[in-house]
Amino acid sequence: MREYAFFLGCIAPNRYPGAEAASYKTAEKLGIKLLDLEGASCCPAPGAFGSIDLNIWYAMAARNLVLAEQMKKDIALICNGCYKSIWEVNHKLKKHKELREGVNEVLKGIDMEFKGTIDVWHLAELFYDPEIVGVDKIRDSVKVPLAGTRIAVHYGCHLMKPKKERHFGTTEHPTWIEEMVAALGAEPVEYRNKMLCCGAGGGVRGYDLVHSLDITNEKMINLKEAGVDALTEVCPFCQLQFDRGQIEIEEKFGVRYDLPVLHYCELLGLAQGMTPQELALDLHAISCEPFLKKVL
Amino acid sequence: MARTKGYPEPLEKKLRDTRLYEEDTNPQFTKTVEKISMTIPHMCYQCGTCTASCPSAPRSSYRIRKFVRRALLGLEEEALTDPDLWLCTTCYSCTDRCPRDIAPTDVIMAMRNLAAKRDIVPVNFLKTVQAIYTTGHGVPNNDVNRAARKKLGLNPEPPTTHGFPKYVKGIQYILDYFGLKQRADKIIKEREG
Repeated sequence: MREYAFFLGCIAPNRYPGAEAASYKTAEKLGIKLLDLEGASCCPAPGAFGSIDLNIWYAMAARNLVLAEQMKKDIALICNGCYKSIWEVNHKLKKHKELREGVNEVLKGIDMEFKGTIDVWHLAELFYDPEIVGVDKIRDSVKVPLAGTRIAVHYGCHLMKPKKERHFGTTEHPTWIEEMVAALGAEPVEYRNKMLCCGAGGGVRGYDLVHSLDITNEKMINLKEAGVDALTEVCPFCQLQFDRGQIEIEEKFGVRYDLPVLHYCELLGLAQGMTPQELALDLHAISCEPFLKKVL
Repeated sequence: MARTKGYPEPLEKKLRDTRLYEEDTNPQFTKTVEKISMTIPHMCYQCGTCTASCPSAPRSSYRIRKFVRRALLGLEEEALTDPDLWLCTTCYSCTDRCPRDIAPTDVIMAMRNLAAKRDIVPVNFLKTVQAIYTTGHGVPNNDVNRAARKKLGLNPEPPTTHGFPKYVKGIQYILDYFGLKQRADKIIKEREG
């Protein structure tokens, strides 16, 4: 069993706890144990904090990294926004001595030092990596195949972009999460402009809600055209923007989509036999019932 | 008879107003942006791939190419006081497609940092700071969520700063080190009373 310090972030534990519960259980079935990262905080939000002062963003993210360094465990997380902060700050501080010294000057005041001894991973990439889990093992873990459902994937931005600094290859037309969806027995569906942003990032959701929802709405139009039963993603912030966003889109633009939005861990949980109650799917703003009827 | 070259005076004046004058530019601004962003806007040849890739461009007057140009020309005032500066969703599509290997997204982030230094920053960004200062979380827990967590067999408070509030002190130390909480409080009070 591989062990990782589980960095929760904000939106999964505080808005979609089903995604958190699903992560522990699904990962354990695939040979990954997620340990509590005691005292972790907001990553902090790369849009909000990075925009105000990158140096504060570095220092705040470094505090979270040091907590995992003290545990001597790599970090696993389930949110693209957290990935941007935690992965990227780890990467930057390891690479740039000047930044590292600046951050350590701050952390000295709370008896901490960033050493650069751990790595950071998104749980989805651990699931996909054949040396750790791999698609075959995911397929073998399925008890309730999601047969007969059409599922689209939203990759989000901050996991794979900017591609030059990451290690995921193409960001124009990736298909690795579709492979993981197909492993659950569902039919992955392509749609127009798949890599378009959800619209929430960079502080735009808070700065200009209608602008951000308009981007979401463009995605919803494209998804509707493709005819899908559910949308899956690997980022609770994107999930919030699509799920609660659909309610806001109805209020602001008068259009209704009723498209269930599930984190990949929730989807995997269902396929591994977890009940909708064990996933707290009732907390979703958009009812998952039509999708569940097809599956269960 | 000698003729003066040019348009009639009112049009000439109008055109003059949109020209780039050296006194409006600050070469230091270009250098500062390049230092903070760790990227190279001076390499931009204005092809527009960035704006064409931008999800915010079709629905606003925000033009990322224009901001990169402003970085290159040192048009500090124009860049930092434009409200469009805050419409970038930081999706990094422009960065992945730039044929000059510039990261326009990081140019925007650097400009936002410089604007924020002059207290030009939307309040929603500062409210996130306040929330994190108090609880450690930008999106804190609530009672509906606590009840749901309990039903799931999770601790009502996640094992973060929520479950271990003693760690909030460290966060407050970092934010106070930069004086950010006081600044956030001050600016929000000015704007909202």
